[in-house]
Amino acid sequence: MRGPIASGAILLAGMFIFLKFILPLMTAPLPASLIYLYLALTLSGIMIFGTMSASGLESLMGPIFRFLSGEGQSGVGHMARLAVLVLFPLLVGWQTYTRLAPSDAPPAENRTIHPAPPGEFVGLANPYQNNEANINMGKGLYAAYCSPCHGANYDGKGTAAPGFNPPPANFSDPGTIAQLQESYLFWRIKKGGVGLPVEGMPWKSAMPRWEVELPDEFIWKIIMGEYDGAHQSPRTWEEEE
Amino acid sequence: MLNRLRFLSTITFVGIFGILGYSIGFASDPPPADEVGASVSVRMYQVEGTLPVDDPNSTQWASVPESEFNLAPQVHWPERIQEVTVKSVKVKGLHDGQNLAILVEYEDPTEDAKDAAAVEFMVGDKKAHFAHGQPMLQVEGGPVNIWFWKKENGKALDMSAKGFKTLTTQEKQDVKATGAWEGGSWKIVFTRALKTEDEKDVQIEPGEWRSVAFAFWDGAVVDGLVKEKGSQKAVSSWWSIRAEPSADNSIFAWVILGLALAAGFEFVVIRKLRKGQSA
Repeated sequence: MRGPIASGAILLAGMFIFLKFILPLMTAPLPASLIYLYLALTLSGIMIFGTMSASGLESLMGPIFRFLSGEGQSGVGHMARLAVLVLFPLLVGWQTYTRLAPSDAPPAENRTIHPAPPGEFVGLANPYQNNEANINMGKGLYAAYCSPCHGANYDGKGTAAPGFNPPPANFSDPGTIAQLQESYLFWRIKKGGVGLPVEGMPWKSAMPRWEVELPDEFIWKIIMGEYDGAHQSPRTWEEEE
Repeated sequence: MLNRLRFLSTITFVGIFGILGYSIGFASDPPPADEVGASVSVRMYQVEGTLPVDDPNSTQWASVPESEFNLAPQVHWPERIQEVTVKSVKVKGLHDGQNLAILVEYEDPTEDAKDAAAVEFMVGDKKAHFAHGQPMLQVEGGPVNIWFWKKENGKALDMSAKGFKTLTTQEKQDVKATGAWEGGSWKIVFTRALKTEDEKDVQIEPGEWRSVAFAFWDGAVVDGLVKEKGSQKAVSSWWSIRAEPSADNSIFAWVILGLALAAGFEFVVIRKLRKGQSA
């Protein structure tokens, strides 16, 4: 094969290799559905570009149509065509089966990790000064109340942690408290897992509702101690232009 | 002529790429990794013949695949406990289309009068918090159904709860349980009809997933006090449980239809192509 089909195939293969293996070196691994989307866009581009003229259409699609209709085929081409014509309905049958067969897996749990907080918990500032005394008090409170689940090292590996689904948050992971403002933590600690909205799946959360036992002052200081102990900083307000 | 070719080429490509890409694209994301050694669900396998409903040591259990769940000390709400005896539980399930049997097996070094075990389910359509259906602030929760076995009674209680301090024994008792301790392990079989007439009970429909959680108490007496009682227990989070459905053969009719439609599609496309060529 030569010409536009070969070029199109090489472009698609190259795009796949780039998305699957090269781009993740700079970003993060892409989900398969996203790779598929980009490949579909690439293919659409190839199709549009290749069929803009009658001669372009003939050189792109002509060999394919001749392959499918069996015109002038012999030997290898004939076998390949038979293989495609047999495999396509089998593929459709297999796909039908997998879509209809009872799912073997428990329901997928698409829990929102950081659902939006209620309005009254947006924009609150920590009223306590970020000084050593407050941080140390916060760390002491953390050790007493939080460390059994969240770990003495703020890493989610407390002694009680292995039993929970979802597991206790790992504060040393940059995807947790480093992404959030102190106001958000105040909501989560105060109202606990039962305070989550439905997309956060409150029924699964083992996070206690600390407002029942701890005053706000303790919660604000725990937040300070937690950031310091986990070597993270809260997300800050964007500068207004 | 050009437009007809464009149309045909579009359908062909979209059709083939769509199916191929859909299956490859969406199918190849691996499921999220479980913790090594830990399960996320219990399957109750269907058996012909008798269920081992009152024999935790029945040889029938040996061939049933097990699921294992880690447990945690109940540290969320007073009265807390920081360390518990039972660290994990192995669970197996069977059903015969009418009744189910769930076997829980866990390590407990001593057999004590106050040892106890419980299995918890959500009831009805609403989600319930795993801590006894504790009320949630933004979501209206439902009740839970708890099957509570105590060594000192030697049997199970069918109970309901919707929040702390609301645990009650149901009027209609549908659950039975038998426990056996040997060599540092408890094995307890819980049995019940898949479906009951009691709306306070979880109704198990084969093929449908339900939520399940576990709790265990080591009733050993330490310094004159029972080590684990009441809210001081080993707990688990919500996991999933299902009575495995029997095979549904009607889907093969759809598979054959899909096959026939695809073959018909090929037939039509190729016929059009050949007509186009001879034109």
